Amino acid sequence: MAEEPEVSEEITTGVPIAAQSQRPPPDILEIEPVYEVLGHSRRRYLCYTLVESTEWSLADLATKIAAWENDIPEHAVETTQQKKVYVSLYHAHVPKLVEEGVVTFDEATETITAGQHAEQVLAALEGIGASLDSQQETHARGEMNEQES
Amino acid sequence: MSKRVDDEIMNEEETTTETDRHWSQVTQRHYDPDGTEELTTVIVYAIAEARGVSPMELKSPPLYEVVDVPAIENTFFGPDVAGDSRRGIGTVEFQYTNSLVQVESDGWVHVYESTGPDDSGLD
Repeated sequence: MAEEPEVSEEITTGVPIAAQSQRPPPDILEIEPVYEVLGHSRRRYLCYTLVESTEWSLADLATKIAAWENDIPEHAVETTQQKKVYVSLYHAHVPKLVEEGVVTFDEATETITAGQHAEQVLAALEGIGASLDSQQETHARGEMNEQES
Repeated sequence: MSKRVDDEIMNEEETTTETDRHWSQVTQRHYDPDGTEELTTVIVYAIAEARGVSPMELKSPPLYEVVDVPAIENTFFGPDVAGDSRRGIGTVEFQYTNSLVQVESDGWVHVYESTGPDDSGLD
């Protein structure tokens, strides 16, 4: 058997020196979180809506997403549909986006505002999903309802 | 959308935890991985139902801060990969404030409330 390779001091700390120096500055979201953020259709949709406006009430967002998912105009969204989306935004998707710095959430007013990483995520969306998600994006910008009614 | 069996109530079933609290099942709801309702939504609705409040009133803390729901989804309700199912078998249990929640790999979410004398958590 070959001799055990020498284990350097840096490696035993878990973070090799080389990797440390290659880390991006902290204000840049790394690629994995970007894809995690965009890995769910409701979060993607929420990000698209930030293009139309950088501030949303959670209730309005829930209505908008329910309309898009059910392919109906916003005024036709039923309360139960809206509530189920609201609950998933409040308990899952918004905290995730807050954690990644994509949005900030004001608990008192239940308002979502674009965060420091929103622009980066939107740029990634443009790059990876422009053709696939074009309908989603169009709808998120609020044009689809006008076309339908 | 939601199933009628969701509202089925079973008061008989009981379970105990290592803290020796006594738990009684208050409600259960079924999660369908192929349905439109997210697991987070099903869990929050089940806890709200167990407490007799609206799901919109259940605010603190967000479920996100208590349990990693996507991890449960991936473990129990994952997609088929190369023709093989990645759906594990088992139960995940966690506490949401004063409720005990169990998520089973068959999609049933059970909510238990403490009925024991150690309700306060302290002696």
